[in-house]
Amino acid sequence: MQITTQPVTALPHSPSPAASPLPEPLRQQLSNGVELVQLDLPQAPVICIDFWCRAGSAWERPAESGLAHFLEHMVFKGSNQLPAGEFDRQVEALGGNSNAATGFDDVHYHVLIPPAAAAKALELLLDLVLQPRLDGGDFAMERQVVLEELAQSEDQPEEVAFQELLRRACPDHAYGLPILGRREALEDHTPDSMVRFHQRQYRADRCCLALAGPLAGLDLLAQLEDSPLGRLQASTETTAPSGLVLQPGDHTLELPRLEAARLLMAWRLPAAAQQDAVVGADLLTTLMAEGRRSRLVERLREQLRLVESIDLDLNVLESGSLVLLEAVCEAEVIERVQAEVRRVWEELSQHPAQEAEVERARRLVANGYRFGLEAAGSVAGMLGNSSLWGRRHNLQAPLDWMQYWDSARLSQEVLPLLNPEQAFCLRAVPA
Amino acid sequence: MPLHPQVESRQLPGGCPLWLLHRPGPAILSAKLWLRGGSSGDRPGERGAAQLLAGVLSRGCGPHSGDALADLVEGLGAGLRCEAAEDGTLISLKCASEDAPQLLPLLRQLVQQPWLVDDQIALERQLNLQTLQRQKEDPFQLAHDKLRQQLYGDGPYGHDALGVEQELRTLDRAALERHASRLGSDGAVLVLAGQIPMDVEGLLEGAGQPVWTVAAPQRRQGPAGCTGERFTASGDETEQLVLMLGATTVPLGASQALALRLLHCHLGIGMSSRLFVALREEHGLAYDVGVHHPARLGDAPFVFHLSSSSERAEEATRELLNEWQRLLEVPISVAELELALAKFSGQEALGRQTCSQVADRHALVLGHGLDFDFADRCLEQAQALTPTDLQTAARSLLARPCLSLCGPARAITAAERVWQKHPLAG
Repeated sequence: MQITTQPVTALPHSPSPAASPLPEPLRQQLSNGVELVQLDLPQAPVICIDFWCRAGSAWERPAESGLAHFLEHMVFKGSNQLPAGEFDRQVEALGGNSNAATGFDDVHYHVLIPPAAAAKALELLLDLVLQPRLDGGDFAMERQVVLEELAQSEDQPEEVAFQELLRRACPDHAYGLPILGRREALEDHTPDSMVRFHQRQYRADRCCLALAGPLAGLDLLAQLEDSPLGRLQASTETTAPSGLVLQPGDHTLELPRLEAARLLMAWRLPAAAQQDAVVGADLLTTLMAEGRRSRLVERLREQLRLVESIDLDLNVLESGSLVLLEAVCEAEVIERVQAEVRRVWEELSQHPAQEAEVERARRLVANGYRFGLEAAGSVAGMLGNSSLWGRRHNLQAPLDWMQYWDSARLSQEVLPLLNPEQAFCLRAVPA
Repeated sequence: MPLHPQVESRQLPGGCPLWLLHRPGPAILSAKLWLRGGSSGDRPGERGAAQLLAGVLSRGCGPHSGDALADLVEGLGAGLRCEAAEDGTLISLKCASEDAPQLLPLLRQLVQQPWLVDDQIALERQLNLQTLQRQKEDPFQLAHDKLRQQLYGDGPYGHDALGVEQELRTLDRAALERHASRLGSDGAVLVLAGQIPMDVEGLLEGAGQPVWTVAAPQRRQGPAGCTGERFTASGDETEQLVLMLGATTVPLGASQALALRLLHCHLGIGMSSRLFVALREEHGLAYDVGVHHPARLGDAPFVFHLSSSSERAEEATRELLNEWQRLLEVPISVAELELALAKFSGQEALGRQTCSQVADRHALVLGHGLDFDFADRCLEQAQALTPTDLQTAARSLLARPCLSLCGPARAITAAERVWQKHPLAG
């Protein structure tokens, strides 16, 4: 079905909480095309510097399983100028901290730092991320750490169940593969294969830099032109991950060490680029499963008392978003839980939600979003991620888009996408 | 900006201290009502009562049924949580400032006029029982549960706030009413941070509501540790062995607490921390390694935790024990102390980024009966500490740690062998 991407007609605004419009970010471009996006938060105690790159696990070739995430670990092992651990020591000695995260689509590296040290931290971060040393000895040691990370996640049966859900629901797509990688593949990787991945993915047309915090008096553009970031070249090869196709299905899996059963379901929703549709999906999943008065929580936890918890999470992704449902219950009632999830969906299909329910969802989503804008780290994250993927809206825009959704439109355009017939359903039960 | 927002200290009729921390920025309000007496106040035979009561509080109060309360809070997109920790029960409200007039009156209704309906108690109790059961999936939880037993036995800190299954099953309305009638009687404090509405006291007093008689939390010695078995293990068919090595120490604000906090920073904060570098970077033994040292009114735990592949159990145990032993034998260097100090003050700044963080930190300090500027004075006092002070604190508080393991039998055997020969086991 077709979903319009951006509304063209201006509808009247209903007042949103705390209705002062959010500030406009400043966007600049380096000569090689790398985007720099900044938002001044004069009240914040620290600056967040956030480097984003289109180098998540979905960009790995078959033999490269786990390499995107492994590289993220190796970056912190130093560059030619920075010995291993020196970056962390310097940042933390200034009262800051740093971290990184690898997703399916992208990876980002961020530093929180007092303003006086921001220019230096930026220089160090770019050196580290764009010119990592990838030394053989460090590589072997860090592989052990990654294998421990994998073992730790495999000891959490809930994580095993989710991984299995994605593997079965997305059999022909990178989203079905573990970000941490397959054990055998990890054991085969070499520093050379990592160098090739880094050189291929960390390119001028594939990264951006976001800053948020007390930025007054900080002019970074000149510094950046003459930095590893400013010297990056554009890509020579462009093969993007394919669109996500979700395979509907209905499986049962017995898992050792599970204490409660899990009903897991996955649906495919429009990709991140379809921002209007993503906002609609956010509203509908909130209406259905956030808070005691949401449809699924009220029915399954509060009234029928079949579940310990039920969640419906929207994962916004570039190849196609995923909505994941998790219900925690006793194994004996898992089929009833599944039937009730279907019934809730059918009821919504037959009788669109009340306007008050949609307004409740709007408030929850809007406040969640505004609460998320308090800290420099989350602001930089939001700006960096959207800039990386060419979405140059301001921070206010998602709040405005919500006003274009009402009950009728949610019923017509989003609810059909959550049809249980189109889901992949996995019942994980204790072995 | 200054770390401190504009601060006002007031008092509600009846005695509850009210702190207003005005912050510029987004029009958000965070309120934290801290009530002394959490899971450590559970009576014998009623372990889990404080948490059960906290959960039931938001299922109806004052004029609002459970549904009406949820409609009001969720309808305004706000967040309301009631949770019991060891030393206190915390009620947290977060909302858009313009909605505060509708929501702030709830805070006192929750504690003064909870509905405590049988049906809702039954639901909340069942959810807590299910959560207790599900937590056993997590090997860290299993190792931690055992360690807590070793460190606190059946004492006030000896159980998970969720309770103990057999006792939780028996908790009914009568038990909760007893607890509810005492809410706040050991002291309470309310902290608001963000953009605070005019006439906030009027909103909190609530027309026609009885006066809430409570005092500020006083400084008082909390529960003590009582070291039992030095070694325990839970067998589990996991890939990794989870190790937790810990001791009971001192309350927040005690004379050696600051030295211990600096050791925590040195050992466990950030990627340059000692445990991270020694165990992860130099030996590749773990992904997750760190220190758990929460602030407590009584003898706080100080715990190293690590999980490592079971085939490396011997090496992991030896290295972890050696790191602990090192604290007793070798003073940290001056450079290490400086780094720990930088992290200590950095943590303070990073922990004050949002209204909720600011309100939370102050509610904790005030709830412990400490002064409002306690954290700032700690930052000053920490400057005077020396490596010898830290070592002295380690020697007096960390000399006899307990070890708790969770993992496959073979790994446990290998780890136990290392433990038995180690000086720390003596």
